[in-house]
Amino acid sequence: MSSATERETGDRAVESDSGDIGTVRELGHDEFDPIGTLILIAIYFAILVMLWLFMYFVEFLGNGPTVVGSLATVVGLA
Amino acid sequence: MRNAYVDQFPAEARVVKSAFWSSFLALAIGGIFGLVQALHRTDVLRFIDSTDYYTVLTAHGVLLAITFTIFFLVGIFTWAVTTSLDRGVVDIRFTWSWYVMMVTGTVLVAVAIFSGFLEEPPSILGSELYADVLFTFYSPLQAHPIFYIGLVLFVVGTWLAGFDWFRTWWAWRDENADERIPLPTFMVLTTTLFWYICTLGVALSILAFLLPWSLGIVDSVNPLLTRTLFWYFGHAVVYFWLMPTYVMWYIMLPKLSGGKLFSDPLARVVFVLFLLLSTPLGIHHQYLDPGIAEGYKFIAMTNTMFLLLPSLLTAFTVVASMEHGARQRGGEGYLGWLTALPWRDPVFTGMALAGLMFAAAGFSGMINAGMNINYLVHNTWWVVGHFHLTVGTAVALTFMAAAYWFIPQVTGKELWSRSVALGQVLLWFVGMTFMSNAMHRSGLFGMPRRTAEPQYQNFDFEPAVGTVAEMDAQVALGAVLLVVSLVLFLLNMVLTSFNGTSDSIPDNTYAGTLSGPEDAPEILDNLKLWTAIAVVLVIFAYTLPLASIVESGGLFGPGIDGRQLSLGADLEPALETLREVVA
Ligand code: HEM
Ligand SMILES: [Cu+2]
Repeated sequence: MSSATERETGDRAVESDSGDIGTVRELGHDEFDPIGTLILIAIYFAILVMLWLFMYFVEFLGNGPTVVGSLATVVGLA
Repeated sequence: MRNAYVDQFPAEARVVKSAFWSSFLALAIGGIFGLVQALHRTDVLRFIDSTDYYTVLTAHGVLLAITFTIFFLVGIFTWAVTTSLDRGVVDIRFTWSWYVMMVTGTVLVAVAIFSGFLEEPPSILGSELYADVLFTFYSPLQAHPIFYIGLVLFVVGTWLAGFDWFRTWWAWRDENADERIPLPTFMVLTTTLFWYICTLGVALSILAFLLPWSLGIVDSVNPLLTRTLFWYFGHAVVYFWLMPTYVMWYIMLPKLSGGKLFSDPLARVVFVLFLLLSTPLGIHHQYLDPGIAEGYKFIAMTNTMFLLLPSLLTAFTVVASMEHGARQRGGEGYLGWLTALPWRDPVFTGMALAGLMFAAAGFSGMINAGMNINYLVHNTWWVVGHFHLTVGTAVALTFMAAAYWFIPQVTGKELWSRSVALGQVLLWFVGMTFMSNAMHRSGLFGMPRRTAEPQYQNFDFEPAVGTVAEMDAQVALGAVLLVVSLVLFLLNMVLTSFNGTSDSIPDNTYAGTLSGPEDAPEILDNLKLWTAIAVVLVIFAYTLPLASIVESGGLFGPGIDGRQLSLGADLEPALETLREVVA
């Protein structure tokens, strides 16, 4: 059970040189669960959704749809 | 024993170093012009004539978007191929020859552009020497032939560089028949393949239309055709800048974070998707061009949305790799691991901040990509704000950060100052936050891009929030911070090159993987298959639009039949067939 203390002293002190990475433990494929990544990406999505909602107010309220007209213009006949 | 790149591959290191310095020179000149533009447009300080504005803007666009990025790319790619295959290039003289060719092309282009500053530009080959055509160089803007010839040399130089990487790989394959292509080489080769596909478009545009037109061999061109051929290349070139950045994020960032790349197979999938999808969507830059039917624009939009997939895969893989590193360094908690990352390392921090800016650019890019919302921001400063986040930061800041690792690798000299480097990357981030955010906002109320004097008589812009003066001030402030950051970068590079050689340069390595190539299906390495599919997709996306553009506007302009021209004669039967297909 010495790993906790090792961690305390081990890490940030060896603040990295671009070559030296200051590893205090090895995590293989199965021990690593990128939960933090999931959280960050969820936050990013939430921001995107909020900005999209905001965009709705900027662009669409009070304006008609702008692009797609009749089928004829879509296929290049008109 | 020191084991840096220069120790392993001294001959290649010299080429890579030269490519980096060419790229820095372009960055220095181009960046200063950026400041000139920002101060001029915001009316903070105007010391050039507004009539010279397009000369400045052309130099800024070409030197930064084409020269700076691509010279850095060829350096990184040569490093990536030789390092990951663990062998030198086949013939170093060939390597030098494409480098010299690219330099020659650049010099011709630069001479043509800079001559535009002269009171009376000299007359060469019967026309005045200037090239105020912006980095998109489609008609009706016309440049002196020397500009186009320079571009051709530059592009052919990159083609030869691509061949160099391929033949180095072929040589390696002869000795390692059963092995998987190492990931960095795989990334280089897939990128090179879509570069070949997309540059055919500009090559055609220049050689068949723009160059003959500027030489006076033909009287006119079809502007929509040259625009479409440019954008056929113009979106893919964006990914050409971005791929070396991705290479850095995939194979350097995990190592710098103290961990391993989360997944080699995912990385391969991402690069295959870029090979497939980079080109058949260029029409998304032409949503507002009359003369292209909405259906084709809709297809381009759909393809663009598909490209979100590799971008999101990248976000996941890269962040997960950083998290892996942070946890190996002792990081804990849901988000607490973020503090365990090596934030005092300028190489890491520069790349991480560049990635963060790229995430922000993801939003403005989605706005650009939507056909209807694009109408709101098309040709406004919103777009300029967007690509200063992508190429201007995600790419440029990653490259500058990477240089702090690479220059010691290729010279054997220690970086002059790591703290100045750290300050430099932070300053770029802050400066760009000011400049780009204000540009985005200006675009929302219609402030146009590409104009020296965006103020008009009897008309005032009406921002919903804030004032024009406030936004202008932010642009000017941001531009000043960016240029200070740029000066610090160059200073660090120059002073580093005056350092003596050092024994404490880290080894030349790149990140290992948590899940390696053995987990990736063999078919991912079938480059012929992916290239064939990519070509088919391009044919689907472009045949009909091009045929209809030529049909309505003529090869050389409306009403000008190509027939009396020798070139047109060859194309006529093919065109006839196309017409029948369309009709
Ligand atoms: C030193 C920091 C920089 C400053 C202050 C700056 C400033 C500007 C400004 C004000 C414009 C808009 C001009 C207009 O619309 O009239 C512009 C355009 C542009 N910038 Fe930058 N920029 C910088 C760095 C970069 C970098 C690093 C890149 C690419 C690697 C880049 C690529 C471009 C491109 C492609 C354009 C568009 C040119 C055109 O419209 O033809 N810039 N820049
Ligand atoms: Cu694009």
